[in-house]
Amino acid sequence: MTGGSVKPPRRGGCGDIVVDQLPNLGREQEMLSAMGMSSMDDLFSDIPEGVRRVEPLDLPAPQTEEEILREARMLLGANISLDSRPSFLGAGLYSNFVPTMVPMLATRGEFLTAYTPYQPEVSQGMLQAMWEFQTMVSELVALPVSNVSMYDASTAAAEALTCAVRVHDRKATQKSTIYVSELVPPHRMSVIENYTQGAEIFIHKLPHGVDGLLDLEAAASAEGACAVYVEQPNAFGLLDEGLVQLKSLIGENTALIVGVQPVSLGLIAPPGDYGADIVVGEGQPFGIGPTAGGPIYGLFACRDAYIRQMPGRIVGLSMDSDGERAFTLTLSTREQHIRRHRATSNICSNETLIALMGAMHMALLGPEGLEKLARRNAGACAATKSAVLALEGVEAVHPEGVHFNEFAIRLEKPAAELLDFLDHECDITGGFDLSQWWPERENELLICATDQIDIEDIEELAEGIQDWQEGYE
Amino acid sequence: MSDLFAFKGAEGAGYAQPDPISDEFDFPASLKREKLPRWPRASEPEIVRHYTWLSTRSHGIDSGFYPLGSCTMKHNPRVNERIVQMPGMNDIHALAPASHLQGMMAIFHEMQEMLEHCAGMDTVTLQPVAGAQGEFTAMRCIQEYHRDIGESHRNKVIVPDSAHGTNPASAAMCGYEIIEIPSLENGQLDLDALRAVVGDDTAAMMITNPSTLGIFEPEIAEAAKIVHDAGGQMYYDGANFNAILGKTNPGLMGFDAVHYNLHKTFSQPHGGGGPGAGPIGVKAHLADYLPAPLVVAEEDEEGEVWFDWYDPPKSIGKVQQWHGNAGATVRAWAYYRRYGRELETMSEHAVLNANYLRHRIMNPPSETLANIHAMPTDGAPAEVVKHEFTLSMTPVKDSTGVTGKDVAKRLLDFGYMAPTLYFPMIVPECLMFEPTETESKEAIDQFADDFLTILTEDPEIVKTAPHDTPVKRVDEVWAARNLILRHPMDE
Repeated sequence: MTGGSVKPPRRGGCGDIVVDQLPNLGREQEMLSAMGMSSMDDLFSDIPEGVRRVEPLDLPAPQTEEEILREARMLLGANISLDSRPSFLGAGLYSNFVPTMVPMLATRGEFLTAYTPYQPEVSQGMLQAMWEFQTMVSELVALPVSNVSMYDASTAAAEALTCAVRVHDRKATQKSTIYVSELVPPHRMSVIENYTQGAEIFIHKLPHGVDGLLDLEAAASAEGACAVYVEQPNAFGLLDEGLVQLKSLIGENTALIVGVQPVSLGLIAPPGDYGADIVVGEGQPFGIGPTAGGPIYGLFACRDAYIRQMPGRIVGLSMDSDGERAFTLTLSTREQHIRRHRATSNICSNETLIALMGAMHMALLGPEGLEKLARRNAGACAATKSAVLALEGVEAVHPEGVHFNEFAIRLEKPAAELLDFLDHECDITGGFDLSQWWPERENELLICATDQIDIEDIEELAEGIQDWQEGYE
Repeated sequence: MSDLFAFKGAEGAGYAQPDPISDEFDFPASLKREKLPRWPRASEPEIVRHYTWLSTRSHGIDSGFYPLGSCTMKHNPRVNERIVQMPGMNDIHALAPASHLQGMMAIFHEMQEMLEHCAGMDTVTLQPVAGAQGEFTAMRCIQEYHRDIGESHRNKVIVPDSAHGTNPASAAMCGYEIIEIPSLENGQLDLDALRAVVGDDTAAMMITNPSTLGIFEPEIAEAAKIVHDAGGQMYYDGANFNAILGKTNPGLMGFDAVHYNLHKTFSQPHGGGGPGAGPIGVKAHLADYLPAPLVVAEEDEEGEVWFDWYDPPKSIGKVQQWHGNAGATVRAWAYYRRYGRELETMSEHAVLNANYLRHRIMNPPSETLANIHAMPTDGAPAEVVKHEFTLSMTPVKDSTGVTGKDVAKRLLDFGYMAPTLYFPMIVPECLMFEPTETESKEAIDQFADDFLTILTEDPEIVKTAPHDTPVKRVDEVWAARNLILRHPMDE
């Protein structure tokens, strides 16, 4: 670009300005003159010669909204959605139904286009909504405190562990040591490892029996460590009664951290009731579809003892100068913008809007609605399980197991082959090939049934599995 | 006032659902929930009205001018929201086969390439879900790189005292020791201070450019040379990327790694605190350490393009369990398509608006100036600023007792969001303004006039502001002392 002149406004074939987002396009000279400048280049005169870009950006020409929408429809139309066919894929993200009201209200501009509510006087709506979210999560998991959200379940679990180390390490007899269930899925485990390595935290794995349940004798050896992390249901969808005793085995000075599928808590005891100190989980089933894994939101709730070491934003009730009820962000002295490298976490942007959608969904459901949603999930899982396990050549990996949402089966051949057959021959998304997590589980398939599964879907799945087996026999 | 927990409908009230398809399940008694959570029992119209009322008590970009410095509060095109609600986005699964995700992966691939090009980097990952997580991810890659080449003793990260708080927090989470160096009197990077602290224990320097004062660092290339000569890596905090697209890039400045804020530069809505997205780009020597997986394109003999996942060979693994905030990536894609190569024009207008606002505030009409108690001073002396600038309200405070916070609160009465307050900390009584490119000249003129009017007002009015907001000034100390973090219900 040559200096000394203002570029003509970008115009399309009909004399229209191509970029419709810039109110001052074509009016630059007026503003430059007011400042005593003659050219847009004057505004960039401070960029030293040696680091200036010489060539213009090698990117396509601007597009209109219409053109972008057309292309987006074409591209996203090439994806195969869970709701476009019978789908039994879960493994941490769950197909759900989000009430129409939720996206409609959450995308009101006052919510959608606000920043973090640093000015509480003009942010009371979002602050109150988050305080209500905190309350509903607190009620759901039976712990007194919830934050406004983490990025996802994996970062919530990871930061729960580092938080517990900060709280317990002084009294711990096993210094900087945590115990994590060996059944935590590898991707989540990888996040935990990335988040804990900087503080030089030692991770021990907690073993499980062939029944898929926690080995309580081994778990008792975590006494004196900083934290124990387990999941209920676990990666096989198993509900583990043993976890109810876990807190008494590890003692007061070791944090019990439980990861949950929050919908299950409509039927299953909340971890706060059996001694959990911190509860985390993927909030996604409340508020938003699986969305390829983001944006979703992580739940983080804890006992009072962890408040000053917890990560993330939190809203408190206060009053204004007239003594009227008002909300504000609080405990910000834990956070990076105040405490810098001594902050409890680096988290700044979080997933507030998705948590708001979760709050709206929870508020619409109500207590009995939650219970019914849990029954729908439990029922779909039970019906799928009995139909699939009735098939020849299919056996349960955990025959005695009590499941929520998902269960594992063992086949006579690799699960990947069945999944391909179901995908290509039957238009069914059949589940998750467990060898992707654990290579030795080559013939094992994790089947998930949420509230979105109906009887016909189950019949199609059972037929598909049977057809596949007949094909190789 | 609307209280969510005051909705006391009949038992079972709420959103109607189909019946379960089976009741053939049973759970052990010890695992059964005894008491349901005390969530509200309400009908759809009641819930709609509650949240609509809450929305009227919130302020977004849609509500008015939002000059929150460092946050790039630009207009959020609504077609982006329409796109992420379309079939093929909301209900796709991260663990589905690649053949089910080809459309999303095509968008990912295009975004990786676009971001690489704009920043002068070799490889981009879209996995980090926030700017701070991008910083953390990049510092983890640098850490693994140093371990790999036998330089694991490099345990110190240098940040200027004007840096965003996330920089030192992210590096500390990786286990690094933080060395903070003071800025020069004029707010610029102090090369002598940098030379004094670099050494064979330097892992990296983290810096944003333009700086948090909105000033382009004239010696950035020399700073990069100093750090590189000591064997350290240069990390670019992309919070201020909106200022420089098409004009320069972090690669030209000598950086090895950079994060982008899709929620700042690429219009992902801020949503009251998130979601964001913080992809990172790196030079080739760091690419093998990036989180897994990346998207790669393969072409078959017939010219058909197929997208696949690719795990870098020495990957640090995962920083988020799935593929990052895919929805934010898709919104940012729609945004970038709207501008294409005119992203440069976008940056020009961001800088034009910031300079114009600064000019309008600092050069009041003489009749207004006569009534102003005291004028603020520039946070940093500079001929031109980039996309944002700082003012020190110290002269105002000295003359009238009105603080920067008071002025910020008074602006709320005029229907504006306040500028960023008391950051960067090196400017006393700091207000930081970033109008962004999507404000009209008229909106900026009006804001400048209103700001100057506040400087003429009776100090008592300003000190007790705000007056016309849904609530008066909120007592933040009381909140922190009493910690009422949830609804007490009936207790």
